[in-house]
Amino acid sequence: MKIVATTSCPTGIAHTYMAAENLEKAAKKLGVEIKVETQGSIGTENALTKKDIKNADAVIVAADARVEMARFDGKPLKEVSVSKAIKNAETYIQEAIDGSFENYKAK
Amino acid sequence: MKIAELINKDLITLSLKSTNKKDVIRELAEYLKIADKINDFDAYVKAIEEREAQGSTGVGYGVAIPHAKTESVKTPALVFGKTDTPINYESSDNDDADLFFMIAAPKGGENLHLQTLAKLSRKLIHEEFRDALRDAKTKEDILTILNKIDGKEES
Repeated sequence: MKIVATTSCPTGIAHTYMAAENLEKAAKKLGVEIKVETQGSIGTENALTKKDIKNADAVIVAADARVEMARFDGKPLKEVSVSKAIKNAETYIQEAIDGSFENYKAK
Repeated sequence: MKIAELINKDLITLSLKSTNKKDVIRELAEYLKIADKINDFDAYVKAIEEREAQGSTGVGYGVAIPHAKTESVKTPALVFGKTDTPINYESSDNDDADLFFMIAAPKGGENLHLQTLAKLSRKLIHEEFRDALRDAKTKEDILTILNKIDGKEES
């Protein structure tokens, strides 16, 4: 099981990283692989590559600011607010494991 | 940038007096004013409140991180405050907050402090870190805990 995620927030100095950390912590606890891209005011770090996305079984987008969505076309995906990811990361990782995400259709 | 370049004993309080969100923002910002980190108290507070209006920075776990990136900040700084009487901060989980990190970031210019703040944010997710801050009895204790953030990557 491989998950990719991206996080971002309005100011990009705190929430982005808290959400990323909590997703990583939850994935570790539930024993799944995760790569989390952070889009903060430092810039994009740990950027998801095409290959990362292709190989991922599920995608979590925890963003209150705009992120590029077209790249996730066709992937099982869940979009949540960044503050929800700070609180409920474990729930979302579990949902990804359970296969309950719907396939994303790019607009 | 080391965390010690952002915070020192003059920017720490172990006993906040405020009992509501509006007051605690001003109480924390007062430390920035006294330490000469901001050049316009009112403008800084306004920027903080504008960010809060977009969504509370009460992130749950009893933690609030009011922050603003604004021209009224002279040098990047961090204020830490805690209270034995948690304050309603309109947090995402409706829990009151007892640990506060107020972040002052200047607009433009050097971005070195942002890496440090990102590391601090990541640390706050971990219960051991929050508990250590809650258990701290002195300002020195707080600095010792915060200094551990430097250079140590969480696996």
